[in-house]
Amino acid sequence: MVVPPSGESAATALGVYEADGRRASILFFVVGKRTEELSRISEGEKIGVVGPLGNGFTIGSERDVAIVAGGVGIASVLLPAQAYVRTGARVRLYYGARTTELLVERERFAHEGCEVLVATDDGSLGHAGYVTSLLAQTDRRPDVILACGPTPMLRAVASVASDMHVPAQLSLEETFACGVGGCWGCVVPIVNTSAQAPSFPPAERNGSDVVYARVCKEGSVFWAHELRW
Amino acid sequence: MVNDVITAREIDVSVRLGKLELAYPTLMGSGCYGSGEEYAPFVDLSKIGAVVLKSVTRQPRLGNPTPRLVHTPSGMLNAIGLQNPGIEWYLEHDVAKFAQRPCTIIGSVAGFSVDDYAYTCEKLAARNEIKAIELNISCPNVASEGETFACDPNLTANVVRAARATTDKTLIVKLSPNVTDIASIAREAERAGADALAVINTVRGMAIDVDMWRPRLGNVTGGLSGPAIRPIAVLAVYEVARAVKIPIVGQGGIETAGDALEFFLAGASAISIGTANFTDPRVPLRIVDELRAYLAKRGLRSLQQIVGKANVGFANPHQYEGDEG
Repeated sequence: MVVPPSGESAATALGVYEADGRRASILFFVVGKRTEELSRISEGEKIGVVGPLGNGFTIGSERDVAIVAGGVGIASVLLPAQAYVRTGARVRLYYGARTTELLVERERFAHEGCEVLVATDDGSLGHAGYVTSLLAQTDRRPDVILACGPTPMLRAVASVASDMHVPAQLSLEETFACGVGGCWGCVVPIVNTSAQAPSFPPAERNGSDVVYARVCKEGSVFWAHELRW
Repeated sequence: MVNDVITAREIDVSVRLGKLELAYPTLMGSGCYGSGEEYAPFVDLSKIGAVVLKSVTRQPRLGNPTPRLVHTPSGMLNAIGLQNPGIEWYLEHDVAKFAQRPCTIIGSVAGFSVDDYAYTCEKLAARNEIKAIELNISCPNVASEGETFACDPNLTANVVRAARATTDKTLIVKLSPNVTDIASIAREAERAGADALAVINTVRGMAIDVDMWRPRLGNVTGGLSGPAIRPIAVLAVYEVARAVKIPIVGQGGIETAGDALEFFLAGASAISIGTANFTDPRVPLRIVDELRAYLAKRGLRSLQQIVGKANVGFANPHQYEGDEG
């Protein structure tokens, strides 16, 4: 959670883009008052940061990895991309945005050793259409899918992953209040049997096999097949 | 000595709520602060007065459908719906952990019948980890009856009396602003045995998505918090303070010492901070430091010296009339 120097606006939930153990950076699009204020800070100014919070993508031993990023979702996938490249896995980035200008940092991912495939809604670059249709058309079935982007895109990724019988990790976006697990505002329904299900009485006690997990605490990354959204 | 200099450190900011003594006048609002553990990495919990836990009910509750939060101008709407594992599970799995917190822990109880409140209150209050109980009779976000208790003087009295019979620990009753006459409810709560009153819970509100033509909260309506409701809360504290003798925990949009002072001057003995923690977890500590500096500057030794002082002077209608005459 990041608060601009004035401290006047509510905190914004942002992912860590890059980190080398000494420094960390955030990547964001200016979309409203809070990010506008953040964009105007200069060197030496102080911002408030509460974090890091929640979990991250799980880096496994998969040899072929598909990373799907939609719009500003690109800000949360550089670290897992680098981590998978380091394991020797083949990493392919499926990157979609409304138009070419919004496909930021794509050279960076290529430089890090990812194969980059792009899609634009307006057809100005790469596949014309959604990035998820590009993923669905792939000739290379990955061992795992990692995705971050708008909720409709994540739902589509979950559906494509299910059709492909490939596990998918989704980094969810929600409206946050506390960001630290204290208010239960940013929840998402998941199966009671998930390792990420918060402690709660067994299903028969509440007549449901679903329980709400906090995106800020148990997430933001969930396994697609465990979500009941 | 006439020119005795008081340093900020010497200022007494402690408060007494019934039998409960707190070194600091800052409570962390129920539902906003988890069980304190969530905030431990970001703030020194030994420097806050108390954490009021998220409300627990007799039966487990999944809570409301999503979305549960909407940010609004100068505030936010929430409709969590009392998600909690129920009192039995809570006692078995969660309560023991509260003993490790370096601050006072106040339990919060919600329910759907007088019997619910008495049952849950008795079980929770019996635990040593819990130093006091807040009765949440004013949750606006449950489908039936949650807030009804705080909207009716007789129901308020019945719930408080039933809970009172189960424990000698400090009983704080959290009132709703969504009523015509909060003072009459406050009087009933006091008469039924409340040790203190929490004023106020959230203000009912609604937001609509104009693209989708539907409410922005899964629960349709929600509770508004944050600076948007502060003047409503200050007035409620002022009205309740003139109606009862028991201490008041003032709450509603407090972000700074200046905001807190309004509540103390209106008649609150302590304050509760909720939404402000979401922007900066250090707010409760900063408020205490600034309150001390404010009091030192005015040569005052104790925070309690200013409680309710806005009731005198030009705010007193009789004196005002007298001046005119």
